[in-house]
Amino acid sequence: MFARLVGESFARNPRRKILTAAALVVGMAVATATLSVALDVGDRLAREFRSLGANLLVTSESDTLPLEIGGVDYRPVDEGAYLDEASLGKLKTIFWRHNILGFTPFLDVPVIVSADGSRLHTTLVGTWYEHAVPVPDGTKFNTGAGTTHPWWKVQGRWFHDNSNECVVGIALGETNPSAFAIGKTITAAKSEDTAQTQSLVVTGIISTGDAEDRSVVVPLVVAENLSGHPGKIRQLFVSALTKPADSLSERDPKTLSAKDYDRWFCSPYISSISFQIRQVLPGTDVRAIRRVADTEGRILSRMGTLLWIVTLAALAGAALAVAATAATTVLERRDEIGIMKAIGATNSIVGGIFLAEQVLLALIGGAIGYLAGVGLAWILGESVFGTPSSLRIVLLPVVLGLASTIAIVGSLVPLWRAANFQPAPILRGE
Amino acid sequence: MFARLLWKLLHASRGRLVVAMVALVSGAAVISALLNLQLDIERKLTQEFRTLGANLVISRAQTVQALSQAAESPALIDEREVLSQVERNRTHEVVAAAPFLYIVARVKAKPLIVAGTWLDEAIKLAPTWKIAGGQVASRGDLTSCLAGRNVAQQLSLTPGSKLELNYLGRTARMTVAGIVDAGAAEDNQLLVNLPVTQALAGLNGQIGMVQLSVNGTPKTIEAFAKKLAAALPVLEVRPIRQVAEAEGALLGRIRLLILSMVLLILVLTGLCVLATMAALAMERREDVGLMKALGGSISRIVGLFLAEVGVLGAVGGLVGCLAGVALSHWMGQRVFGAAISPRWEIFPLTIALMVAAALAGALPLRRLGNVKPAVIFRGE
Repeated sequence: MFARLVGESFARNPRRKILTAAALVVGMAVATATLSVALDVGDRLAREFRSLGANLLVTSESDTLPLEIGGVDYRPVDEGAYLDEASLGKLKTIFWRHNILGFTPFLDVPVIVSADGSRLHTTLVGTWYEHAVPVPDGTKFNTGAGTTHPWWKVQGRWFHDNSNECVVGIALGETNPSAFAIGKTITAAKSEDTAQTQSLVVTGIISTGDAEDRSVVVPLVVAENLSGHPGKIRQLFVSALTKPADSLSERDPKTLSAKDYDRWFCSPYISSISFQIRQVLPGTDVRAIRRVADTEGRILSRMGTLLWIVTLAALAGAALAVAATAATTVLERRDEIGIMKAIGATNSIVGGIFLAEQVLLALIGGAIGYLAGVGLAWILGESVFGTPSSLRIVLLPVVLGLASTIAIVGSLVPLWRAANFQPAPILRGE
Repeated sequence: MFARLLWKLLHASRGRLVVAMVALVSGAAVISALLNLQLDIERKLTQEFRTLGANLVISRAQTVQALSQAAESPALIDEREVLSQVERNRTHEVVAAAPFLYIVARVKAKPLIVAGTWLDEAIKLAPTWKIAGGQVASRGDLTSCLAGRNVAQQLSLTPGSKLELNYLGRTARMTVAGIVDAGAAEDNQLLVNLPVTQALAGLNGQIGMVQLSVNGTPKTIEAFAKKLAAALPVLEVRPIRQVAEAEGALLGRIRLLILSMVLLILVLTGLCVLATMAALAMERREDVGLMKALGGSISRIVGLFLAEVGVLGAVGGLVGCLAGVALSHWMGQRVFGAAISPRWEIFPLTIALMVAAALAGALPLRRLGNVKPAVIFRGE
């Protein structure tokens, strides 16, 4: 009987319900879209922040002080300690291996470059461009300066990783444009009196806005061989997706309780990722590149808070829209309520019928709104970040629950007023 | 007469108007707060990005000479000439500017890079430095220095330690004021005030480069760099590409994100106000019928009701704007730790939006022009 009454009431006069349903659909669509964006935004912005390049620097623990100005190490090659190139694949075996987006080793060798008769003191910067690193589990991981130094621009093309090719810094190239032109061959020697030289074919001109502009960038293996330290590197830049620092990550891991330690270890904080890198590369010093990591952390946490506030505003707007229309529906049907009460319906029955109807409406409107919101979030993700947001089924029950709650709360006040109606004046039209 | 009718109308149905007012005020508050945020977010974010450090470098154009001398401060520039131009062009957007002269000096026979700069400005250039011990507050302090974290480790220095710098037979005695954990190249350097390195190297009045941290969008920074370059024709003023490019891209993304969210909520709130006003207007059907039966012309009656919702919209918009300013103040404190300054252009914009939404909601009343009063009174 109750179900039939609700069904009748729901099916009758659909035009009136359109306004409530439309408010529900629009409100819930906006709620779904903003919720999906707010849930996603941390990960997506963190990925965008990787355009700042590496956020971790790995060096040897027993290294002497690098004589580094503007990113180029001017130390003689026989000084200081090195890292093993062969062990770098282990980086992809740590707990947060999927958060390691890329890593690039560097080995700087001071050299004398001869090109077309001119001799210049400069630095060979040995690195990877697109290098396939063997990972202990048998796979290969492609990484290099393209990932960790995205602002480096090359005119012409990058060198191939296992060839005697090089790209010449733009400022160095300008000193003798014809000698350093693409396709020319230059010769690099470690010192004046050595017979050990290396011929390199110029494949491109690199511009980095930094000291590499005055250097020659070569495949890592070329720099290793010329320096006389095969298989060794000086520095490793790592670009990792991290979570902004909070109260847990600021604490010293040694003082954490077992439970907190597990939570710290299993969160992609920059400190826990450095700790895990040190575990697989013993004897290294892993440091956060503070200016990148701190800026990223601050802006990410601020954007997180901001988006939750904006989402709350959207939810409040949605609630207001739905509640206002729900209230109107009840007010408009005072006549019906009057008749029902006149023929003996109790307040609870009248309230039950109306609430059931509102919930039914909320579920249908909420479901349509969810679908529209998913589409909206898709477009938003596509236009802002270039990739559509992922579909979150979890949000469906959340949105449906929200819609029902708002519709019920919105109807409660007018229903409570309806409970005090005297049927007679209403039926008289007063 | 019209005004009196309007007043009666507003006064008589206070109960119902409260509901409409709540919708209007909260709608206007949300809209004005978000618009305020949208207008201010760029400024707030560019300030946040300054923790990235210097984004402009002034140096001599890179030449062959730069290559032969490698570490030893490539091509020098005249300190007075550059710094006077930097000071002359300095606006409030320049967060910090400091000259640098690098030399490779020896401490206990170990070579290490000594950066000569203005230590009071250098700290502002790199706000992410963590300094243990004391800072060097003045650029005139020629006996205090800051040691990078790795330098301190290798030479076992602590705040208060004394050390002697040697360079080509000249020496300087320094006291370590603090240990810098920079998470950058400065970890391997000793930082002193500029005259110390100048005296050691015998390069009085010479510097290697000037680093600047400039606040603003990529466009304003570029404009500033151009202005500076015009004032310093022989030198090169270049943005640090890593910082500039990433900052520009991120700023664009975040702005677009906030803008699209704000637009969504704007539309939603507008619709909500419209729906409430439409409901209010429909309740006036009987009044319209009565007025018409008494001989009022439909244009006059509709005009009366439109005036009613217009007044409502304006009042609700104004009150909502005031609430919105408070809301955006709170939002700024909560998110950025600094208040968002209210923008006065928000007020007319929000109020106009509210009046428009209210009027649009009341427009269906015009349809009543065709309705016979008798039909309305019968309740059909």
